Amino acid sequence: MSYDSVELGHRLITLMAAAMLVVQMLLVGQRLLPTVIALFSLQSFFLACLAAAVAYVNQAHHVYIAAGLTLLLKVIVMPLLLRRIIRQTDTQEEVEGYLNTPASILICGGLTLLGYLVAHPFSQSQGHSHGSLAVATALFLIGFFLMMNRRKAISQVVALLTAENGLFLAAIALTYGMPLIVEVGILFDLLVGVMILGILTYRIAETFESMDTSKLRRLRG
Amino acid sequence: MTLFQVLLQMVLALVLAPLINGLIRKGKALLQNRRGPGLLQPYYDLLKLWRKGTVVSRHASWIFRVTPYISFLTALMVSLMIPMITTAVPLSFFGGVIAVIYLLALGRFFVALAALDTASAFGGMGSSREMTVAAIAEPAMMLSIFSVAITAGSTNLSQVVKSTLQHQEQFLNPGHILAFAAMFIVLIAETGRIPVDNPATHLELTMIHEAMLLEYSGHYLALIEWAVALKQLVLMTLLVNIFFPVGVGSGFTAASLATGLIAFLAKLLLLALAVVLVETSNAKLRLFRVPELLSVAFILALLALASPFIF
Amino acid sequence: MSLVLLLLAPLVEAAACGLLRSRRWMERVSLISAAINLALAVRLVQNVARFQSVSAFDGFLYADALSALVVLLTAFVSFVCAIYAVGYFRTDLERGSITLRRLKEYYILTPLFVFALFLVALANNLGIMWVAIEGSTLASVLLIAFYNQKTSLEAAWKYIIIGSMGISMALFGTLLTYYAASHVVGTESIEGLNWTRLMLAASSLNPKALRLAFLFILMGYGTKAGIAPMHTWKPDSYSEAPAPSAAILAAAVLNCALYGILRFHILASRCLGPEFSSGLLLWFGLGSLLIATPFILVQTNFRRLLAYSSIDHTGIMLVGFGVGGSLGPFGALLHMFYHAITKPLLFFCAGNVQQQFGTATFRKVGGVIHLMPVTAVLFLAGTLAVTGTPPAGLFQSELTVLSASVQGRSLWIASIFVGCVVTIFAGFLYHVGHLALGAPRIGMNRTAESWWRLLPMLLIAALTLLFGFWLPSPLLRLIQQAGQIVGGAR
Repeated sequence: MSYDSVELGHRLITLMAAAMLVVQMLLVGQRLLPTVIALFSLQSFFLACLAAAVAYVNQAHHVYIAAGLTLLLKVIVMPLLLRRIIRQTDTQEEVEGYLNTPASILICGGLTLLGYLVAHPFSQSQGHSHGSLAVATALFLIGFFLMMNRRKAISQVVALLTAENGLFLAAIALTYGMPLIVEVGILFDLLVGVMILGILTYRIAETFESMDTSKLRRLRG
Repeated sequence: MTLFQVLLQMVLALVLAPLINGLIRKGKALLQNRRGPGLLQPYYDLLKLWRKGTVVSRHASWIFRVTPYISFLTALMVSLMIPMITTAVPLSFFGGVIAVIYLLALGRFFVALAALDTASAFGGMGSSREMTVAAIAEPAMMLSIFSVAITAGSTNLSQVVKSTLQHQEQFLNPGHILAFAAMFIVLIAETGRIPVDNPATHLELTMIHEAMLLEYSGHYLALIEWAVALKQLVLMTLLVNIFFPVGVGSGFTAASLATGLIAFLAKLLLLALAVVLVETSNAKLRLFRVPELLSVAFILALLALASPFIF
Repeated sequence: MSLVLLLLAPLVEAAACGLLRSRRWMERVSLISAAINLALAVRLVQNVARFQSVSAFDGFLYADALSALVVLLTAFVSFVCAIYAVGYFRTDLERGSITLRRLKEYYILTPLFVFALFLVALANNLGIMWVAIEGSTLASVLLIAFYNQKTSLEAAWKYIIIGSMGISMALFGTLLTYYAASHVVGTESIEGLNWTRLMLAASSLNPKALRLAFLFILMGYGTKAGIAPMHTWKPDSYSEAPAPSAAILAAAVLNCALYGILRFHILASRCLGPEFSSGLLLWFGLGSLLIATPFILVQTNFRRLLAYSSIDHTGIMLVGFGVGGSLGPFGALLHMFYHAITKPLLFFCAGNVQQQFGTATFRKVGGVIHLMPVTAVLFLAGTLAVTGTPPAGLFQSELTVLSASVQGRSLWIASIFVGCVVTIFAGFLYHVGHLALGAPRIGMNRTAESWWRLLPMLLIAALTLLFGFWLPSPLLRLIQQAGQIVGGAR
């Protein structure tokens, strides 16, 4: 493998990581639920490409399988399931979160910087610091923030999935992914989780006649 | 520098500016399955406006009469400060890109004042809206250009372009991409395109930029329209030449000028196509949601600025 | 072999219940399977006592004394819950609160739940352990949403959202641990995340990464265990789930989540020295105690009361693990043992009362002793046991933890501990006393308490009393061995 293609590979990895971060930012203020799901699908696609690039550059062949599984499950199957839920519960739009959009976006910027700070000591010891660990931590933190800020149940699910994307990216950045059986287990868990969340979201929409989780307030103390 | 250079760039800018408008309009029409106006229609419009008389409100002061000239001249000056087909810029004031931004802001300031000057309600409304948009768009633009300037080590635009040309691998730099994304959103906002503002609207209550120009007529309007087109050309040139200066020549030989011109036109065409796609596939945002879009641009620019220190 | 059987049995049960249609057969299958699980767990304990550790599939599954203890407790809790569930759900079916289809869901999900819990304790690979804990969360969500009321759905939603956040943090921690070891064990083989392998390489792990990893693990698995301040899902889930599921949640899931934390605690102590992780455990434990206490005092709902009680017990266990020394881990594991045996009794009594009265609020329930004498007496006895009154075993374990804290650290930890425990005792007894004694509600008659419900309750009461006085030496040795593993003597 010539030097140039390795360099190109690293550049591509950094590019994909930055693209994932941009998509996450676009998710923050996004109102239309089908667009939210499409953005998640796009982000997972970038993730799969990134994983494939890492596998190519580092000759780590088991990462190809993980990339392929990500492509299959996160780009195709899970968005399909989520879209089905939206169709069944007949919701198309998100309501304003607990914090308004410009404030949330500023907080996400802050969280990204925090992610960089957390990842800095680790990236120094790596061979090539692509900054993917920083992006991964940022995705993780922003996903958590979105889970707390968004009100509709399905947006919370997508936010959780983007946080998991961040974790997968961190796994790739740090250790070229985890052992394959663990990766398979994690993806399987996620899939089952999305299905169960789908069932639960459907029940909530039926019982409360809205997916707005701020209406779930009866249990206190 | 040389008079030849100045003239060349000036003519190029003046001629290209309305053409871009025509291109975008034609593109939108084709995508909407219409025939649309001809590509040269903006030139005919400018000519028509030039020959018409002007009507000036009784309440207007000298600001109203002076503004079209100021707006046009600042836009023209700025277009002379941006590298278009070569890396050498004809005019180069202190601070390079900072001067560019401030000149553009000066033009905007005067237009906003002039709109207020006529004591018309729509003018005031347009001014305040335009300033709201500018308040977030300008920092975003500054930050995104600065992020490229920092990697290049100078705010002198020709220096920036030369440096980016030398380190071609920068194109895939994440900070670069983030800054480009931020700048693209700013382009949409500053040129008043959907989803921020509809340039073809006739409803005064939905206007942002057009509302400021309602009182202008005749050659004043021609000058301001040309200035707006020049500003659009300037922003698009910034986008293509600062971030992807492929094909920008460095000498003054006929060959390098020719390749530079062709590359420039091709890149502008691609960018215009992107703008057309964005305009056609989106609906205009309600006014209070425009800051949301612009904050995304701001944060992206902020991250772009921070990325060289972190990536 | 026993390891594989332990994992297969619940899966077979789930499949069988999936195919069955009659309620009677499902009940029979679940009872038989629960008994088999218990027998297999006892066998595992015997094997571990003989061989120190048992493993299968080339180290993929691994059981030492700590695992065996957790497996035994899980099997016991699922056994008594299986017996109780028969009577409980029969009443629900008669009243029409649930349909047969819903019941079938219970009988399919519960063995899957138990399977995941077994896998947590038996997996050597920390990544698979994570998958199992997440699996247990997923299996139990629909159990919490069982009654499909607005409140149940709210509880289930909070459970899965907060649980998923916690689990993601735990995944990050697992990832960081893998990274901390990657320069020693490499990144190619699955061995890299095996706990046994990591323990061997413990001294050469990257300390910075491991520190951050443990923090995330504690916050992540601590959310599953219900450590304050990540406990907010607990009161809702425990009050909305059907009583047998809530009992498994309280007694078994808690143990498994703590088990996860402990594996990392042992690793971190070996690598970083015990102060870091023990200090964190101590702080979180004291925090849980302090947060649980006022909520117990002002509680108005007896199912939520049980949730706060389990938070407080988690706190006691964490304090025990945190103070370390020779007695700390032993006391904490002893506490885990007694807690897992005694807690289901309280849930069963609460379930009985709730089903009879239709509500879980203290104010609306009173004088239970006139209506359901056995339940009321056992409720009172269980309360005394759970709050650490002699001769219940919990008294001994709390005393052990207390003496460990006096031995090891400053006295203020011990005084906070005593203060909280005493306050909880007072509050708990006050509430349950009012519930059990006093004038009965007008118009309610004495109800016959079915043997299906009474049998497990009496069994637990008998065991609690028995073990309070005499703990059979195999069990005692098991707990001691487990304590040594945690304490790092191996």
